[in-house]
Amino acid sequence: MKKLLTLILAVALALSMVTIASAEEPFVLTVMLPDFYSTEDFQTEGNPVLDAIETATGVKLEINFVANSTYGEAVATTLTDSNMPMVMAVTDARATNIINSARAGAFWDLTDYIADAENYPYLAQGDPAVYNNISVDGRIYGIFRSRAYPRAGIYYRSDIAKEVGIEKEPETIEELTALAEALAGYSDDTYALNMCSYTDGTINVITCAFGAPNVWGVNADGDIYPAHEDPAYLEGLNWLRHLYEIGGIDPDFVTIDSTNWDNIERTGKAFMRFDCLDNGYRQQEWFETNEGVTDQIFEIIGGLKKEDGSITLWPQNPGFAGEIMVTKAVSEADLPKVVKFLDWCNGPEGQMLLNWGVEGVTYWLDADGYRLAAPEDGTDVTAQVHLIQHSLNQLGMNVPGDLTITEKRTPLRAEYNEINAEFAQYAQVNPCFPLISETNVAFGATLTQIISDAAVQYIAHQIDEDGLRAAWQQWTDEGGALMTQEYNEAYHAAQAE
Amino acid sequence: MIAQPNMALTHRQKHGAYRRKLMQDIKRDKWLYLLMLPGLVYFVLFKYLPMYGIVISFENYVPFTGVAGSEWVGLKWFKYFFSSPSWSRYLTNTLILSLMNIVFYFPAPIILALLLNEMRSLRYKKVLQTLLYVPHFISIVIVVSITFVIFGSSGIVYKLTEQLLGHPIKYLSDPGVFRWMIIGQTIWKETGWGTIIFLAALTNVDVQLYEAAMMDGANRFQRLWHITLPAIRSTIVLMLVLRMGSVLDTGYDHLILMANPLNRTVSQTLDVFVYDQGLGKSGGNYSYAAAVGLMKSVVSVIMVVGSNKIAHALGEQGLY
Repeated sequence: MKKLLTLILAVALALSMVTIASAEEPFVLTVMLPDFYSTEDFQTEGNPVLDAIETATGVKLEINFVANSTYGEAVATTLTDSNMPMVMAVTDARATNIINSARAGAFWDLTDYIADAENYPYLAQGDPAVYNNISVDGRIYGIFRSRAYPRAGIYYRSDIAKEVGIEKEPETIEELTALAEALAGYSDDTYALNMCSYTDGTINVITCAFGAPNVWGVNADGDIYPAHEDPAYLEGLNWLRHLYEIGGIDPDFVTIDSTNWDNIERTGKAFMRFDCLDNGYRQQEWFETNEGVTDQIFEIIGGLKKEDGSITLWPQNPGFAGEIMVTKAVSEADLPKVVKFLDWCNGPEGQMLLNWGVEGVTYWLDADGYRLAAPEDGTDVTAQVHLIQHSLNQLGMNVPGDLTITEKRTPLRAEYNEINAEFAQYAQVNPCFPLISETNVAFGATLTQIISDAAVQYIAHQIDEDGLRAAWQQWTDEGGALMTQEYNEAYHAAQAE
Repeated sequence: MIAQPNMALTHRQKHGAYRRKLMQDIKRDKWLYLLMLPGLVYFVLFKYLPMYGIVISFENYVPFTGVAGSEWVGLKWFKYFFSSPSWSRYLTNTLILSLMNIVFYFPAPIILALLLNEMRSLRYKKVLQTLLYVPHFISIVIVVSITFVIFGSSGIVYKLTEQLLGHPIKYLSDPGVFRWMIIGQTIWKETGWGTIIFLAALTNVDVQLYEAAMMDGANRFQRLWHITLPAIRSTIVLMLVLRMGSVLDTGYDHLILMANPLNRTVSQTLDVFVYDQGLGKSGGNYSYAAAVGLMKSVVSVIMVVGSNKIAHALGEQGLY
């Protein structure tokens, strides 16, 4: 017995000496990310991308992928857990539990690090307006995941439009109506407008086209007011209501999950969509790859003209899609190391590895130096890319902008970039994004749901205008009035500064 | 004034006597008490201790600061719930769905069990029983997916009703149809499984009673009415008392899967509300969710005790 004990002690001692000897142990960073390929595995051992990251930074990533559809719940439960990941992606930066936890001190305040351009050059290049958008009580607790500003708009199948006799790209609301009506009459089994259970985006685009603000607006007196109080909001809803009535929208659109949104266009069941514009060229490219389409069959619209000739405003995305936050699972001593790593992620090398991986394994280059998603000999690498790259791009922030090697631009992609540049000035910002209303923190989602449910019920002819106004009144009574007041106070305080 | 110390003394004596008797009992039945111990430990450890979490419904709970470190707000969340204009809608939706469940689903397994009991071929009965249990093991997610395929705008039932009636019924989005869809799915999924307890009760019926009744000329229906049903009456009452306790429980997974903006006015029940506030779309209001959940539990206890009393008053054994 004694011998055994001695042996165990000796082995333990030897092992601990080994640990001391290899002082260059990689720094293990635990990360939680949403997973868009939850049906497929992620290679954790000998993954060339993770290895490349470890070689470049000395950081060994241990990633916990959680299915995107339940990611919000995963974040909510993780925050109650003493065993938090050190770094996590937060998809809804304005969620109640994120703001409350940030105030309670669950995340490291990164404000001073971001200001330190000498040590963290890439983080410092981030747009201050966007940093402001994710701030909590004036402090920045995360690195935003950058997205191009004005992305929402209209795209449609131009080939089908030609078949129903519309050659010209619509320039006014009237022409858009004519196009939608013509597309609705194409066939009994198809619909003009592609809508699904996620309706906020669609409603936002059309109401903004009529002149309503993007969720919140500033009126002539300089006060904040909600979009549905603008008469143009109702005009936009009426437009959709009319299209629904003439059979231009699937009567069961509310039951279609947003993951099937793309498939409806791909199977040719609907021809127009109000959504992120870049999806327009993605759909075109999908048809080129999978259906052998060679002509341009999609058209994207950057803006419409009003009667007086001025351009309508498009809803502007807040400039980010969630953020990457550093939790208190990181010790104060290790914090600079972690921030340094996040800074590296934003540099060209980090961006390339996180978004596209390793050349020859998960992406390829053509003769002109453009990035390819598959080798030129046409081998099917989808499974391999999913296994190795998986959803690693969810850790990508691209704060200084996209520094990766681009794909060759198809004509539609080039057009998208032109439209983006041309219409940036007409993008409509939600003035409340950087502001905090306590009512919104606690019950914002419940209140927003009242408005969006009523809009959908109105479009589907379930309620009439009185019913719609009753729902708006309910919103006001249940906290909307208080929220407007709080936003106004915060807005005027920010204006005064 | 003189009597009081005396009374206290006798009380203490009584108390002491009781304790002595208890110790004697434990000593005598030590093996029985030992047998009870694992169950007792289980209940204390897994059922009673976690109840301390109820505290968060009186706090402004933030996970990072924990139960001890969160701000105490007293009855704030209870007041908030009852001052919000929609709480009555949540309650009404819950009660209507629950009552429909009791009226339409609750008798279904009893009727099915009685039908199975009347079957002559034992082998056929066994096969049928097994087949009837299968839906219970199908996840509700799958059940809802199947419903979407059959009842959606391109589904067979949708097309069929459209041709028969001349206009479609929007099974998935019409608020008027919503509750019937939920009840229908529940009946389809759980009826077979629900028969088990009634079939077990039916095996206790004395066969001689049937023989005697047959001699007296009772027909099948009379035998069912006068022998079989009275025999399983106490089981039915027991199940009903238990069901009353969960009258505010509608579950949330099934409803959330079937919910959409068009039927939200009827699909939002208390359970869905608790989920939404705690973990779901509006997530993070842990205290608010806990407060509403606690109220629900209190009502459940009242319902169980109340319906048990009624059962006693009607001369039934009830739950305890």
